[in-house]
Amino acid sequence: MAVVSPSAGAHPVHNHLQFNRVGLWLFFFSESILFGLLLSARFFLEGIEREHVDQHLGLAITIVLLLSSVTAFTAETAIEHDNRRVANWGLIATIVLGIIFAAGVGFEWKTAEFTRHEAFGTVFFTMTGIHASHVISGIGILILVWVQLLRGRFSGKDHWPVAGAVMYWHFVDVVWVFFYPALYLVK
Amino acid sequence: MYALKSVGGALGLGLIFFYLGLGLVAVLRAMFGYPDAWGGEINIVGGYVLGTIGWLMGIGMWGLWGREWFGLKTYPRYAPGWQRYFTFNTDHKVIGIQYLVTFIIVFLLAGALALLMRLELASSGMQFLSHSQFNGTMGLHGILMVAVAVAAVIGGAGNYAVPLMIGADDMAFPRLNALTFWLIPPVAVGLLATPFLGGIETGWTAYPPLATTTNSSQILFDLSIITFGLTSILGGLNFLVTIIFMRAPGMTWGRLPIFVWSMFATAWIALLYTQGFAVALLMIMLDRVGGMAFFKPEAGGDPLLYQHVFWFYSHPAVYIMVLPGFGIALEVISHFSRKPLFAYRYAVGAFLGILGLSGVVWAHHMFTSGMPNYLHGPFLVATELISIPTGLIFLAALGTIWMGKLWLRTPMLFAMAVIFNFACGGVTGIFLADVPTDIHLQDTYFVVAHFHYTIVGGEIFALFAGIYYWFPKMTGRMYNEKLAKLHFWWMFIGFNLTFFTMHLPGVKGMNRRIADYPSSLDDLNLIVSLAGFFLGASFLVFIYNMINSWVRGPVAEANPWRARTLEWQTTSPPPHENFPERPVIKGHPYDYGVPGSVHGVFPGAGLSGAPAGGGGQ
Amino acid sequence: MHVRHLITAGLLWVVLTAVGELLVIADLYPAVGSHEAEDFDNIFRFLLLLGVPVMTFVFAVLIYAMLQFRIRTEVPTEDGPVIRGYGWGPRIWLGITGGLAVFIMIYPGLTGLAKLQSDKNAYGWGERDAEIVIKATAFKWQWAFEYPDGTQVSVAQGKELVLPVDTSIRFDVNSIDVVHSLWIPAFRMKIDAMPGRTTFMTVKPTKTGEYGNDQAYRVQCAELCGMDHATMMFPIRVVEADEFESWLASLNQGGK
Ligand code: HEA
Ligand code: HEA
Ligand code: CUA
Ligand SMILES: [Cu+2]
Repeated sequence: MAVVSPSAGAHPVHNHLQFNRVGLWLFFFSESILFGLLLSARFFLEGIEREHVDQHLGLAITIVLLLSSVTAFTAETAIEHDNRRVANWGLIATIVLGIIFAAGVGFEWKTAEFTRHEAFGTVFFTMTGIHASHVISGIGILILVWVQLLRGRFSGKDHWPVAGAVMYWHFVDVVWVFFYPALYLVK
Repeated sequence: MYALKSVGGALGLGLIFFYLGLGLVAVLRAMFGYPDAWGGEINIVGGYVLGTIGWLMGIGMWGLWGREWFGLKTYPRYAPGWQRYFTFNTDHKVIGIQYLVTFIIVFLLAGALALLMRLELASSGMQFLSHSQFNGTMGLHGILMVAVAVAAVIGGAGNYAVPLMIGADDMAFPRLNALTFWLIPPVAVGLLATPFLGGIETGWTAYPPLATTTNSSQILFDLSIITFGLTSILGGLNFLVTIIFMRAPGMTWGRLPIFVWSMFATAWIALLYTQGFAVALLMIMLDRVGGMAFFKPEAGGDPLLYQHVFWFYSHPAVYIMVLPGFGIALEVISHFSRKPLFAYRYAVGAFLGILGLSGVVWAHHMFTSGMPNYLHGPFLVATELISIPTGLIFLAALGTIWMGKLWLRTPMLFAMAVIFNFACGGVTGIFLADVPTDIHLQDTYFVVAHFHYTIVGGEIFALFAGIYYWFPKMTGRMYNEKLAKLHFWWMFIGFNLTFFTMHLPGVKGMNRRIADYPSSLDDLNLIVSLAGFFLGASFLVFIYNMINSWVRGPVAEANPWRARTLEWQTTSPPPHENFPERPVIKGHPYDYGVPGSVHGVFPGAGLSGAPAGGGGQ
Repeated sequence: MHVRHLITAGLLWVVLTAVGELLVIADLYPAVGSHEAEDFDNIFRFLLLLGVPVMTFVFAVLIYAMLQFRIRTEVPTEDGPVIRGYGWGPRIWLGITGGLAVFIMIYPGLTGLAKLQSDKNAYGWGERDAEIVIKATAFKWQWAFEYPDGTQVSVAQGKELVLPVDTSIRFDVNSIDVVHSLWIPAFRMKIDAMPGRTTFMTVKPTKTGEYGNDQAYRVQCAELCGMDHATMMFPIRVVEADEFESWLASLNQGGK
């Protein structure tokens, strides 16, 4: 996510924070086409058919992920107000919740009653897999950011990495909001 | 030598990481108890991914960018003179030239492959290539050329010219920009390695189930093209932010040079649709290495899914190819006709209209694919609607030329040729868009002729227009006009001979992607082949002219074309920060003949943009 | 002055068009073996009729401008007239091109489509109900055909696909491995062979003919299907109805 221009500051005519924000949003547009296509593939192949999946687990990890968005948001607002301590805990909580989510998906994969060699399994494992890979990369980014936070790198004025990572986290979260019903609830 | 150190080190690191990747996957496979730890294509995946990362870090991304992720401080690499082209350099002018040179070489290689095909196709029966060799050649030619068509103009001309034209000092994300270029070598290596794994058997479209069952070169193809897609997505993103935020004061949307507008539309298409190609190839990889069932009908999959997802990208891709071409053509035509661009606003509207329509026509490639009948009508209509905005581009071009003061230098000749050729390519497109005719023409040489007219005639000609147009700006030297004109006429005649003739065997019933064909088509194909070689030879003139002029051509003045746009108001080649100071835009870029009008001025230095009447500088 | 340019350029356009339209009368097509083929040729000619003027218009303007508006001096000394191109010019252009586009979209586009598609949800061309139904199965890299009476025809047996003239024949096409495409140039008809679904196309041969004399009488695979895609071809012979019957019979006692 570190798409900061090196010439930042060198040319005060440009607002590089704005560049990064819009750049990240454009990246999300592009990504949402990726997820959108996977979603359409799911309905193209399976219609609204669905094999049996563990509803409780699904609901649980969904709630976990939604919670993690809240903690991420807390972290961001905290650092905006120079509150390192809360930001620190917010990031830790987000990372932990993220790991729980990923583990949940892993468990779902182990216990699934269908294989990846059949159509529903194919779309299920692909969609959850691609999404989980985003979650994991998100965790990685958050950890990098967190380490720098511990080093006292960020302040209320300069905290783009935190903001960017959190934006990314929200995005991954929103994607799941679309995937969850498509994989667990339809029919 | 520095360049050697940089590239050599990167290669070394890339190789090490490549083997690391192979090994890592092997270890994992062993851990999870697969019988053949080394056997699978998934090893190649691991190797390619890690290898690419290693290569990038080695070329300089680590020092300039990677360290930052770990809170370490970054340090730039300063390379002297020409050597700066061989490292992770963030100057958009350097990157533009890197792109151009790289893709000209790829173009020549892929063109040589085309000539090899023409050699085999010169007469029926099998002469030089086996069937599988021919398929490999054909597929490699196709995908390499598609890569050229997608990246050469955007990455080359776009990177070089857009920041200059909008009066910016660089792109919005310089390091991202450098990244997009340095991802290209792994792509090239991956594609050029395919022959060693059996050769691409599926053409550039890689339809499953063939693609999921063919030899392992497919996996390299997938990996390379997904990486390539990443570069055009990131590139598009970069262009959008640059054009939206970095325009010089006074450079309103209504005063944007038309080439920048075309790049704006193109960048949107690249940003949004390229994911389609990635997803399609990802599915193929999952079917291959993951044993999944996207395209296995017996397990509930459907091969048609691939075609939908693939063309969802690959039709918009053809506009990624041609829109910047139109942009260059209109740009050049206006400057060399010494006339305001005719119907500027309509031309802008055309670009945005094509952008809007490009995403809803993809199934015109699938009219005979056995998709449900109710899909044909809507896609026929949408496809033919596109001819209306495209027509507006022609209106702008022809209207500008009319009554103009045509200065027929080489860029202008190429620009006019773009309009000439694309008129033919576009109209044949209409034949294909009409289902009743497409049923027969689909997958024949009529299609091949159509898309060579559109891509080669429309975009590659524009690419050369751009190269000749910006050559003095890029190199600070002037090319040899006589040789350039020779190259133009040679290429123009050769091109039309080759590809106009190519329509005929198509209608007569010669299908694509075959090494052998009915003997009744011999003479037509012989003509095409001879003309093809004639065309190929014209590029030798080009190669000689470029190299010779770059080394010892006469020094070029700042504004040899008397053009008004900003890139010509600075020295040739421009300084690192492009302009002595930030320009301020006072008027429309194409106001030729408007008394006292100026486009850009430099308040402090007091030197002003090109005054209206004849003179430049 | 300006008018003179318009007139001469217009004349050039007329001349070029006249030359170009020769393509319409030129015989560019393979043998005409069926109704569908006649329709195709007519539509193709019609599109040429409309398309050539569009092309020659562009050519004429470009060529005329190159000859007339070029400057002879080394560098330009003056600018052209300031014509911004708003007002009626572009609107008229939009009207004409738009009208043209919509026109060809409806005829021959949608009308021709309606003629080709009997059923909106089917996968294929032409009427579903035909006098003879032939099952065509594609595999790497050949075809196998099965007649209604169960007779099999392939490279192993028969070595050619014999069809009765003036009878509507439906091919039910599917594939056992990868995507192929069943194409008969003489009939101008083509439909892909998709693994996992049965597509169809109905043709009505109107002339007798055979691969021996005319290579357009062949079943050609028209979708890249791997190594020997180029050789995935099968000869066709179109004969009178009675000859067809006797041929079928002969094939039947001829072992099976
Ligand atoms: C730069 C690339 C490019 C461009 C710009 C186009 C432009 C168009 N293409 Fe083409 N096309 C390809 C590259 C391109 N194509 C490629 C690579 C393939 C093959 C892929 C493969 O299978 O390998 C292909 C294949 C292809 C097919 C599928 C053929 C088949 O396999 O069955 C079709 C069918 O509809 C089609 C149609 C069109 C149309 C309608 C346009 C329109 O955009 C053209 C519009 C332009 C004009 C019409 C001319 C200018 C307009 C006027 C002067 C106004 C007046 C004119 C009218 C009103 C008609 N193209
Ligand atoms: C940018 C796009 C582009 C360009 C420029 C070209 C250029 C050419 N193409 Fe290509 N072509 C495609 C894109 C392009 N093509 C695509 C996408 C396909 C479809 C593939 C598929 O079906 O999957 C295709 C397929 C294709 C076919 C059909 C193959 C088949 O279906 O069986 C043919 C056949 O004639 C052909 C011919 C040519 C020729 C003669 C040229 C000529 O213009 C080439 C000109 C010659 C040169 C440029 C050579 C110059 C070099 C030298 C003179 C020597 C110096 C060389 C070195 C230094 C290495 N092309
Ligand atoms: Cu079967 Cu091509
Ligand atoms: Cu298309």
